[in-house]
Parts: sequence; structure tokens; C-alpha cells
Amino acid sequence: MRFRRPAHLKDAPRLTYRLWDFTGTALLNLFMFIFLVAYLSPLPFMVIASLTSPTQFHDANAPILPSERVKFNYEGKDLIVYEVPTADGVRHWALYKPSRQSSQFIDPASPEAGPITWDGQWRSLKAVYRFKPTLDNFKEFLSITKLPLLFTNTLLVALISEIGVLLSSIAVAYGFARFRIPGIKYIFFLLIATIMIPTNITLVPTYYLYSRHVLDWIGTWLPLIVPHFFGSAILIFLLRQNFKSIPRDLDEAALLDGAGPLRILISVILPQSIPVVTTVALLHFFYIWNETRLSSLYLSISPNLQMVSFGIQRSQTFFFTPEMLMVGALMVMIIPVIVLFLSQRFFMQDMIVTQIEK
Amino acid sequence: MDIVSQGGLWSKIKPAKRNRRQQEATIGLLFLAPWLLGFILLKALPILAALIFSVTDFKMLSPETTKFVGLENYLRFFRDPAAWAGLLGSLRYFVLTVPLEMVVALVLAAIFTSERLKNKRLSQTLIFMTSIIPSTSIFFIFLGSLEYADRLIFRPLNLPPIEGFDLLLPFMALWSIGPGFLIMYGAMQSVSKEIYEAAHVDGAGPIARFIFITLPMISPAIFFTLVINLTGAFGGAVLLDRGYILSFSLSPIEGYINETMFIEAELGYASALAWVTFTVMMTLTILLFRSAKRWVYFPEEDEVNEI
Repeated sequence: MRFRRPAHLKDAPRLTYRLWDFTGTALLNLFMFIFLVAYLSPLPFMVIASLTSPTQFHDANAPILPSERVKFNYEGKDLIVYEVPTADGVRHWALYKPSRQSSQFIDPASPEAGPITWDGQWRSLKAVYRFKPTLDNFKEFLSITKLPLLFTNTLLVALISEIGVLLSSIAVAYGFARFRIPGIKYIFFLLIATIMIPTNITLVPTYYLYSRHVLDWIGTWLPLIVPHFFGSAILIFLLRQNFKSIPRDLDEAALLDGAGPLRILISVILPQSIPVVTTVALLHFFYIWNETRLSSLYLSISPNLQMVSFGIQRSQTFFFTPEMLMVGALMVMIIPVIVLFLSQRFFMQDMIVTQIEK
Repeated sequence: MDIVSQGGLWSKIKPAKRNRRQQEATIGLLFLAPWLLGFILLKALPILAALIFSVTDFKMLSPETTKFVGLENYLRFFRDPAAWAGLLGSLRYFVLTVPLEMVVALVLAAIFTSERLKNKRLSQTLIFMTSIIPSTSIFFIFLGSLEYADRLIFRPLNLPPIEGFDLLLPFMALWSIGPGFLIMYGAMQSVSKEIYEAAHVDGAGPIARFIFITLPMISPAIFFTLVINLTGAFGGAVLLDRGYILSFSLSPIEGYINETMFIEAELGYASALAWVTFTVMMTLTILLFRSAKRWVYFPEEDEVNEI
């Protein structure tokens, strides 16, 4: 909605009006900026923590940014530098001989002066830190998880199920969008209803179906892949909404040219639906990437088949320190986030447009 | 067919038309076949099977000794405090998180309609981004941030440290507003400008315009978002599924059903629990749809696609 000059400023001088307008714009953008900073604030901490060495978390006085303790080499030994309060202000001295009541320090600026005795408890002193990010956490993370295997598995399952879900969902959506079938209204209502059916109502029987008593699919990818070959209700819904918005004139022209239904789908409908098909493919990719529900049922016993989200979550028992948790978080989310940013131009647009159609 | 073929010229045209119709329906059904088959095999039959399981004492380890026990499993549910706690926990989750999600998404969408806002696309992507982050990452970020939150917020303000997972639910809810926000923002953009102009001429201020025009006009979007969130609270997923947290199920009843199924291996009782949840959830959905007639504005009713 275009901005209008408000009634009480109608006769105000141009400068007052400009000022009013500018303040409003500035306040609104400032509000959005502050909101975004607060909303996304855990993410910078995730990056900071993943670059921080574990020892820094043991020191309550350590800075927030990834840092290392400043050390001073004296007589071949690395001494830790502390902030020492003295009569002449706070000095950065290296701890030479710690003891309970009074300790000996070396002044790094003039080491030749020899040890200085300072009275007080050295444990209450703050260590001096210097900014230094480390990649050690990532190395350790790679050594305790099978990240390359988990990534490969995820991509394989995503690829295979993607083919299935796209083929069937496109076909079904085309059926819903273009054919006059008696009672299609009720079939479509069923489709909408299945979107809302909670997964756990079908969980027990399907679990029994896949168990060794019937199909014996537990410990394979089949329970995660095969159902997608029957299409996915929400994706069919999104595709169908889009197919319906394509004018029928083109189909009819193709029909007169002797094209069959399949030919019309491939050469008339699909070329005009590339954005929505991509959106749907991405939604499915995110679904597979984030999958943990079915994996926990069917892949718990086969660590070599697990996918990234489930696999990393399961190995959480091996790392519970903040920096390792944050490395894990970063590793699991980095690819979906990159994919979203690469595709944002039409992905977000399409989500909006397809929804309004409803 | 026989009667038709006897009828001369007139009947020659009509069957052709009818055949074409029939042919169209057949081809259409062929296209629908994958989903119809999947619906029967993976939805309808399992739901029925769950109903049958629920009146037996079916156990995973000894399927051959299964016998009919009537409503025993359902009676057991009424006596089982853990199951009630799970069900109430899921309802609590819905009641606590959904209003938060809805209000934040609605306010953001309203701000986004302003032409004064700069960098809309980037802000929009950043807000949406949090909704695709896998639950594994969210869980880890939450655990890892506790240290920082304690150091930067709780200790300086002299607040007691965070206990358990109390803040995980609102955190997760706030980071799930993406789809709802996009849906409501999209709906707001499609409201016709003339209505606002007319209201403006009549002297309606921005707040009055928001309450009396924007809210009623986007009520279908609000309704759809509500349905998405309701489904999410009971362990379903509509648009984006980020998976779930194994050690801390966000839908407590779902966690309890899984436990009954795996640790106890009591498929009969687990099915009864699933059916109870299903009934509660469907009742809520039907109530929601019933109420929709009162507050949701449907512009045209000739299409099948309005739900």
C-alpha cells in the first residue's frame, strides 16, 4: 500500500513531512534489524563456539570470542600470562611459581629483571586471552563421526526417493488437475485429509508390515524410499494447484495435433511448471535431509545406512560439550541452508504464490 | 453396449460422447493410480489394521498367541497416568506454542507489507531459513547456547540458570514460523488495494484497517496456518518436516506410543493409544473446520479446492 500523507500533516511544510516520513521509515527498518539480530542470535554463537577450543569453556572469566591464553616463554617453559593488579595498575605478568598465598611472576616486558613476588591468590586472577579461532573441533568431530558416509547415504536416499516422488506426484497432480472423473471432488478431499492424518496412526501396522514377520525390510532403505513412489499428498496438492492455473487452451491445441495425455503433460504442462516442480523437489530434499522419525524405527540397527540428521543425533552420546554440539549443529544444517539461499529467488516466491491459490 | 448398438444414428453420436467421457475418466484414474494405491496400502489399510490391533493383545515377540481382548486396551488407557500425561503434554504443546507462532508470524507479515521496509527479500529468507534447520541442529544449538545464555544474560541479571528443556519449546516454535509467515504475507499481498483505499477515504486508521480489512481478508491463510500447527503438535508435518528429537520427543504422546511399541513391544496397546490420539486430533480438526464457517472468509465457493 502506497504511503499517503496523513491528515494531520496535510498542510504542514514539506520539511516537516519529509522528516516525519524519514523517521517512520528509519524506525521500521531499525525494528526489523533488531528483530532479525535477536531472532538469529544463536547462529553466530554456533559459529563462535565451533571455533573455540574446549579449554576456554572451563575458565569462567574467558572471553566470548574464540581465543587462546597468552603465554610467555621463559627459560624454555611456557608460562601463562595473567592480569595482575599492582600498586601501579593492572600488569600482564606471566606466572612463574604459583603458590597459595603469594606467587612469583615474570614481567614479559623485562624478563631479565627476574621473578617478582606478588601477594595474593593467583587462582583469582584473570588469564590474558588473545583472539584465535581453532579448527580442532572440526577435526575431532570428523574423527568420531562417519560424516562422509552419512552425507553419501543422505544424498543417495534423497536422489532415489526424489525420482519416485516426483514421477508419481506429477502424474497424480496432472490427473487431479485435468481429468473429469466422477467423484473426483471426494477423492481430492481424501487427499487433503491424508495431509492432516498424524503419522502415528499408521505407525504400528506399517512397522509390523516392514518387520521380519512380513516383509523383513528393517535395516534397509526400503521403508524410507518405497512409500515415496506412491506420491506425497502435500506435494501433489501444491503441483495440482499450479497445473490448474495453466490455461487449458494449450492442452487443447496439442490434443488437436494428436498428442496423447502423457505427451501433453511432458511437452505442455511441465515446461510451464519448472518453478513449482523445483520447489516441490526442494521440499522433498529438505524432508529427507531432516528425516529422523523413520530412521529411528528402521535404521537404528544399521549404522552404515544411517543418514546425516539421525546419524549425528544418535552419536550425540559421544560429544556433549558446547563446542562439539555446535560443530554438529553446523554440519547438519549447512547444506539445507546453502540450498535454500541458492534457490530463494523462486522457492520463496512459489511458496507464497501456490498458497494464495488455495 | 448391446442396447446402444441397436439404436441407429442418434445412439451412434451419444455413445461416442459417453465413451470419450469414460475414456477420459479411465485415463485420469490411471494417472491417479499411484496415489490411490498408496492411499489404500499405506493409509487406509494400516488405519483399519491399527483399529483391529487395538482390540487384541498383539505382542511383537509372540504374534501367534494373539487373542481378542475387546476394549481392554482402551480401558487400560484410562487407567494409565503416563498415557494421559503424554496426551495432555501434546495438547499443552499446541496451546502454548501455536498462539506464539501465529502472533509473531502475523505481526511480521503485517510489517512486511509496508513499502518502507528495505531489503525485504533478504529478511524474508533469513526468517524462513530457521524453519528448514533440522531438529538435530536446533537441539544441539539449544544445548550449546545454554552456556552463552547463562554467561551473557542469566548471570549478569542474577536470574536462576535454565532448568531442563523449558525454553526449548518456545525456541523451537519461534524458529518454525517460516511457512505460516509466508502464507500470511502472501495472503496480505493479494488483498485488493481498492478496499484499503475506500476505508482510508472513510477515515479508517491503520489499526482499524488491519483489524477490519486485513484480518478478515486473510482469514483463510490464518486458518490454514492453524491447521498446519495443529498437525505439527500431534506429530504430523504439513509443509516442512524437520524430523524429531529422539531423546526429547516434541510431541509427548508420540514419544509414549513409540516407547510402548519398542520397549514394551505391545503393538495392541500402542495401536489403541494411536487411535485415541487420532480421535482427539480428528475431533479438534473437525471442530476447527466447523468453526471456520463462522470466521473464515471464502471468496468463491465454486471450486473444490477450498478446504
